[in-house]
Amino acid sequence: MDRTERTMIEIRFHGRGGQGAVVASELLAQAAFLDGKESQSFPFFGVERRGAPVTAFARIDDRPIRLRTSIDAPGVVVVLDPGLLRTTPVTEGIRSGGLLLVNTAADPASLPAPAGVRRAAVDATRIAVAHGLGSVTTPIVNTAVLGALAAATGVVGRTALEAAVDRFVPAFHAENRAAVDDGFAAVRFAPADAPAPAPVVPVPAALPPWPEGPVASIPSRALRTAAWRTLTPVVHTERCTRCNFCWKFCPDDAIGFDAEGYPVIRLDYCKGCGICATECPPKTIEMVAVAEAPA
Amino acid sequence: MAKLTLPDSERMYSGHAACPGCGPALAMRLLLKGLGPKTIVSIPACCWTVIATPYPTTALGVATFDNPIEATGASISGLRAAADALGLEGVQVVGFAGDGGTADIGLQSLSGMLERRTDAIYVMYDNEGYMNTGIQRSGATPRGAWTTTTPVGGSARGKPEAKKDIMGIVLAHRPVYAATVNPAFPEDFVRKVERAAERKGPRFFHVFAPCPPGWKFDSDQTIELGRLATDSGIFPLYEVDEGRYRVTRKGGALKPVAEYVRAQGRFRHFTESDIAALQAEVGARWEALLRAERETAAPEAVPVAAH
Repeated sequence: MDRTERTMIEIRFHGRGGQGAVVASELLAQAAFLDGKESQSFPFFGVERRGAPVTAFARIDDRPIRLRTSIDAPGVVVVLDPGLLRTTPVTEGIRSGGLLLVNTAADPASLPAPAGVRRAAVDATRIAVAHGLGSVTTPIVNTAVLGALAAATGVVGRTALEAAVDRFVPAFHAENRAAVDDGFAAVRFAPADAPAPAPVVPVPAALPPWPEGPVASIPSRALRTAAWRTLTPVVHTERCTRCNFCWKFCPDDAIGFDAEGYPVIRLDYCKGCGICATECPPKTIEMVAVAEAPA
Repeated sequence: MAKLTLPDSERMYSGHAACPGCGPALAMRLLLKGLGPKTIVSIPACCWTVIATPYPTTALGVATFDNPIEATGASISGLRAAADALGLEGVQVVGFAGDGGTADIGLQSLSGMLERRTDAIYVMYDNEGYMNTGIQRSGATPRGAWTTTTPVGGSARGKPEAKKDIMGIVLAHRPVYAATVNPAFPEDFVRKVERAAERKGPRFFHVFAPCPPGWKFDSDQTIELGRLATDSGIFPLYEVDEGRYRVTRKGGALKPVAEYVRAQGRFRHFTESDIAALQAEVGARWEALLRAERETAAPEAVPVAAH
């Protein structure tokens, strides 16, 4: 018996800590409820640190929802930060015929997805910045993305979304309503016949065998925190004086040295905080967008 | 290769779960640089529990003990007693707790540990609030700061009360050694830890630990903010060794506090008169600190009470 298939819509949000992914899932569920639907939303309970990949879920149905599990086979995947497409298998488990919606200025035909998945894009960052939501470096894009989601799927009405904004968003009501409208109008689709690049494959966690008993004994170096990074430090060694300021101020111990004593960023762990670049006396370290960093 | 100004040992591992630019993470890294491999760190519920130990991993290359938030002082007394009972030589017992777990919830067990003369180092990393649970005010939150429980808007203007003076509370217990440290001054930090490690009895560190999401500043500014805090007198660096004060950084005239205040979103609502009030308070505390240093400078300088 699969009663979920017919009317329930399952939506999974991927964002970064501080971007509003959890609030997006809550607002969507509240809006659906105002639309007279049954709905639920909840985040993946994990480390919700600023910059860390965050997952949140929402279900919408005409009938009572009895499922209480996280969503493994979403009909819709919403990605608030396009950088996650490079590091996180966001489309894992997405249903055939499902929709991938990404906040990006890029052409939706360039978005990686499994075959048979529809792809849409909205430049929610531009909309958020235009309405002064968040800051230029960390815009809060969730309401613009929800407007695009409403337009792309019809799971929820624009009026209900705006009502949810007024009731549940603490501030900037007019700006957030405008962002919903702009997102609604700005959604773009990839042609159905456009070939899609393959999505990133989940890397199996390289954990050694688990220890016996309740003692945590595997060094955390087994965990890669590179996916947290939105900016990457690039060292221009020609100006480097080997003063080691970058090394001594790194909160992640993510800087080592090469044989000549020049700093080497350990990119598996660097979270991109930028302290090394700011503290470097001759300014030899430059923070560049992950997408533009040399591989 | 240039000479390193800090020990190259790394007992805090990469891959931990601290936010980008985390002051407490750098504080732990520097602390462990000053201590040997035979160290036991006891951590209560706080950011560092989450940072260190997503099971089955650990970010600490030393023995680690998780304890309840009110029990850090008691736990290090117990760990010390156990190490002594087992006849373990050269073990350094360290409590590493946040300001909420120290100055508020754990104050009784800290006081008990100091009063029992437990041979251990207690470290309070001060990010000035309950940051792990989402930025609630603590006793160590400074006056006027925005937190989720001391909002700003209408007649609400952030936390109405002053910051709790944890060094004053600890020094009233007469520890063998107590010091303030700041990751923006790593050489001073590690030197003080090495100095404390040579002593026996209760020792205490008050660590300045900037929190980018909680204090609302960009993650690359952690060190710059630390420098401003110390050089403006908000967080002076000093040590109290057997009751004798020594200020370890004096840069001539203090910088105005305005630069420190204006660098953080949690003080965005501060008016010129708020800043002037803070400036007066900081100036008075700095003078009192210099006075304490003069008065305790040498045994003969201690005034003898006339009878």
